[in-house]
Amino acid sequence: MPERLDVHVDHDRCVGNGMCLEFATGVFAHNARRQAEVVDPEGDAAEDIIVAAENCPTAAIQLSDAATGEPYEV
Amino acid sequence: MPATFTLTDDLFAPEVIADPYTYFGALREIEPVHRNDRFGLWLVTGYEELVWILRHHELFSSAVIKRVAAPPYPPVDAADLPLFDEIREFRANQLVEQDRPEHLHQRGVVHGYFTPKAMERWRPFVRAAVAEILDGVHAGGTMEVLTELAAPLPVRIIAEMMGVPYEDRDRLRAMADGILYINRGEPHRLRPLVDAVRGIVDYASPLVKERIVEPGTDFISVLAEGESRGVFDRRQVLVNTGLLLFAGHETTMNLICNGLLAFIRNPGQWERLRADPGGMARLATEECLRYDPPVKSTQRIAAEDVEIAGRTIRGGEPLRWIMAAANRDPAVFSDPDTFDIGRQPNPHLSFGSGIHYCLGATLARIEGQEVFRGLAERFSRFELATDRIEYQPSLQFRSVKSLPVRWSA
Repeated sequence: MPERLDVHVDHDRCVGNGMCLEFATGVFAHNARRQAEVVDPEGDAAEDIIVAAENCPTAAIQLSDAATGEPYEV
Repeated sequence: MPATFTLTDDLFAPEVIADPYTYFGALREIEPVHRNDRFGLWLVTGYEELVWILRHHELFSSAVIKRVAAPPYPPVDAADLPLFDEIREFRANQLVEQDRPEHLHQRGVVHGYFTPKAMERWRPFVRAAVAEILDGVHAGGTMEVLTELAAPLPVRIIAEMMGVPYEDRDRLRAMADGILYINRGEPHRLRPLVDAVRGIVDYASPLVKERIVEPGTDFISVLAEGESRGVFDRRQVLVNTGLLLFAGHETTMNLICNGLLAFIRNPGQWERLRADPGGMARLATEECLRYDPPVKSTQRIAAEDVEIAGRTIRGGEPLRWIMAAANRDPAVFSDPDTFDIGRQPNPHLSFGSGIHYCLGATLARIEGQEVFRGLAERFSRFELATDRIEYQPSLQFRSVKSLPVRWSA
């Protein structure tokens, strides 16, 4: 597991289910359209961010290793 | 709007049930948030308005059954009316009828079971089940798609998810068929519905007792674990078992029937799928979901006064959001009335949006993909074996009564 992750939310897929805000409270917040935005990619531990990404019902959260840029598949 | 243009206010008029797209599409163009006084309902048909409502769950409650005591419609036999309270209690306890904070706690128990990754592990089972059913019907040259394919497939999958013993499958199937009466119009429908609901509670009760003590990896064990953690009481575990059986059955049935019907009526799109079934199945399923969705509309109730699209919805007033109309909003979809299986992106609202986004969405997608792929790999051409397609008189579900087809191998 990478130590630090880059986090991207695909807004074509995000339906505002809000589960990521529960699993990684420090990383995600909802914008005015109630879609997830990354407010601080280091706001939670990498393992919590991975759980948040796994629990996205539309697989809208994409992760990559911040050090290498390699995609991290959940 | 032309002065002469009038629309019926009868949402159950035969022409509205037969073709909801013309009616609700006209409403969307005239007034995307419309008050229907006859049914005491707001009808939301515009895409943007609908998304806004679904993402503001604090303004629009899902606890509709608890808050609205409307009698059953179409009407039922007067002698059966006492049964309606039993159905209301059953439905009001289900996850889909909860608001936050309870909804978040309850969804938290079951959410992990349905993630895209977890559901993807079911694909081989779904594919095998599709193959087994299609192997069985292959010889005849005709098929009643609803009863031979679309209804048995999801029940088989749900039975496996529930960890139901093989010899009980027929019993589960009978209960699943009984619950479908929730969506029907017959005046006597409450009796078979109540029988099915009681049947599920009786059947699942000993299973829940077992799995509280000895949990497995099945869905009933997931609910039972929620009870052990104090999130669900026993009644909620049982009614949500019933919810899985119904929600996973009716909707998948409609996806398969409505999708196949769209292909039969658009042979060019069928040829497109047949040219590359494995490659096209994913986008094709999304277009089936958009074009003729399994669920036409769902309810909310305003928690307070809300201004939207120039109208004021008062606190306590119920509304229906018509995803069947929003899915054809020309502001979002080009040529919205065209069935185009290459459409991408395809941000349809057939699974809703926001905190109540369909828990079973990934499973439904996998089932649709495997069915349309399986059909396209085996059969060169389908045609209707009837000149009349009839639908159940439901505002909520887009359900054919029957879909007889003939095929060429």
